[in-house]
Amino acid sequence: MKNEEVVRIFMENSAKVAARPIRVNGIIHMNEVLGEILANESAIYCPGISELEKAATIDTERRVDAYTDATVAVEESVAGIAETGSVVVTSANGRAVQASLLPAHHVAILSADNIFMSLDEFFAGLGKTPPTNITLITGPSRTADIELTLTIGVHGPEKVSILVV
Amino acid sequence: MKRGSGQSINFRDNARRAIENTTLRRAMRHATESFRQKRSDAIVGIPFEEWREQASELRKTVIGDIKGYVDEFAVNATKRGAIVHRLKTAGDARDLIGAILKDNGAKNIVKSKSMVTEEIHLNKHLESLGLRVIETDLGEYIIQIAGETPSHIIVPAIHKSREQIGRLFCEKLSCDFSDDPAVLTNTARGILRQEFLTADAAISGANCYIADTGSVVLFTNEGNGRMVTTLPPLHIVVTSIEKALPSIENLPLLMRLLPRSATGQTLTSYLSIITGARMPGAATGAKQLHIVLLDNGRSEIANGPYREILKCIKCGACMNVCPVYGMIGGHAYDSTYPGPMGVILSTLLNGIENAHPLLDATTLCGACAEACPVKVPLLKLLYELREMRVDKGYNKTAESLGMAGFGMAAKNAHIFQAGQTSARALWPLAGFLSPLTVNRLPKPTNRTFRRRFS
Repeated sequence: MKNEEVVRIFMENSAKVAARPIRVNGIIHMNEVLGEILANESAIYCPGISELEKAATIDTERRVDAYTDATVAVEESVAGIAETGSVVVTSANGRAVQASLLPAHHVAILSADNIFMSLDEFFAGLGKTPPTNITLITGPSRTADIELTLTIGVHGPEKVSILVV
Repeated sequence: MKRGSGQSINFRDNARRAIENTTLRRAMRHATESFRQKRSDAIVGIPFEEWREQASELRKTVIGDIKGYVDEFAVNATKRGAIVHRLKTAGDARDLIGAILKDNGAKNIVKSKSMVTEEIHLNKHLESLGLRVIETDLGEYIIQIAGETPSHIIVPAIHKSREQIGRLFCEKLSCDFSDDPAVLTNTARGILRQEFLTADAAISGANCYIADTGSVVLFTNEGNGRMVTTLPPLHIVVTSIEKALPSIENLPLLMRLLPRSATGQTLTSYLSIITGARMPGAATGAKQLHIVLLDNGRSEIANGPYREILKCIKCGACMNVCPVYGMIGGHAYDSTYPGPMGVILSTLLNGIENAHPLLDATTLCGACAEACPVKVPLLKLLYELREMRVDKGYNKTAESLGMAGFGMAAKNAHIFQAGQTSARALWPLAGFLSPLTVNRLPKPTNRTFRRRFS
């Protein structure tokens, strides 16, 4: 079990950047919470590649194969970074990194064991041949291009939920 | 890009017009004040000085061997399927990028923000080839439909008020008027989403490239950077040779300094690290990835006395603290890069013969050098360039004569005293001839410092 302190810092920092971190205790609890946060979504994309994604209960009626049609993307993130409250998605294992970008809501499932304390820890472990695309996601899409007024949800998701399992 | 001789930047007139523009003044004051505040808040409780020192050393190492890092990067990026182009001049880069797009039959091109493409005036060139280029960063999109150029390297439309943007959208995009940033953002989002999904090709910049992995890195907030680097089948990255980091393990340092200095954020919403083209069977990345590494005079700067300007990571912190920039905004500089770093870089890239009037755009207060997250000695470079301007005879004749006169007087007590006396006597006349200048100067005193002791 990962140090609860690292998880706590991750939750605190991801909340600071306007993501919505939720701590869940195991798969049953994860699916309860998923049921609630997906209640109002009409088209759900979940690639079903990793174990946690396979364990996620997604209503088949509302499940879509194309992320371009989805209102929400549910995906496991390969890592979290406590220092910045970021989740990490990559192109490894045939994943489309843009799947977490096009829908207005991104639900990241994150195993507590995969949370790194610092950016240095994460990058030191990457090696010299990283996947084609590594994206760190730190809160929702935002802009301040008009009079520096913060506006959430420009081209990417306006809502980022993180389920820490 | 070299300007022709005789076309030197008319900075003083530009600045005068900017100061008379009250909308601009209000926008600039609001913007620079809030950026300064955000930045100061963001560096509380962190070892900022220690990180600055480390980043400065790291950037020094890079500019000491740019060619070595470009070579290493080219080898590693090529291994991963990218096509790396090393180009000498702005013209070379424009021609090559145009040719790549034409050869691939691309017509609709989406762009994410890149100051290097502004430096080489890429959009104009591509449009002359009949290509449709859409800027997708909200600020860049605003100034593109307004037919303007960026006035800040981080927030390109910083000079525009929400009412102006509302009217612009209303007129150009035929939508209802609104001055609510959320509504305006949503309008742009709807239009640009279609562009992302149908574009033939993408052009982006890069905040840095990483030599030991062959990666390019983009810091973005809106998500347009992610769109353009993942959706279109062809992606051209345009960046300049000095933006190397030796190793991917150096990235955390840049990640900690750049967003804090630029927008006061701990980290931007998105950080994309792109290494090579899409692999067979993969679902992410452009099938064809070109990386343009532009020199455009930088190798020469790296070998000269002003090389430390190339440490710059283009965060914009020096602009936000500059009293001159805060007063007149970016357009008055009539140059791709405004503010303190812009004055220096523009002078070196465009040549002193064209850019010398920009060297007036400083009070030499040094706030820029204190704010710089990589310790570019901005104040020292500004001083040295101003000395060089005098040496090369590009300062004003009146300034040279005045300085020569003062030099003479300062060496001779009689002349000095005569000068003081005549200054007192002629003061009302001087006020009549040039009220603006004289009103800002202290009135010559009757009881001078020297007289107190004589």
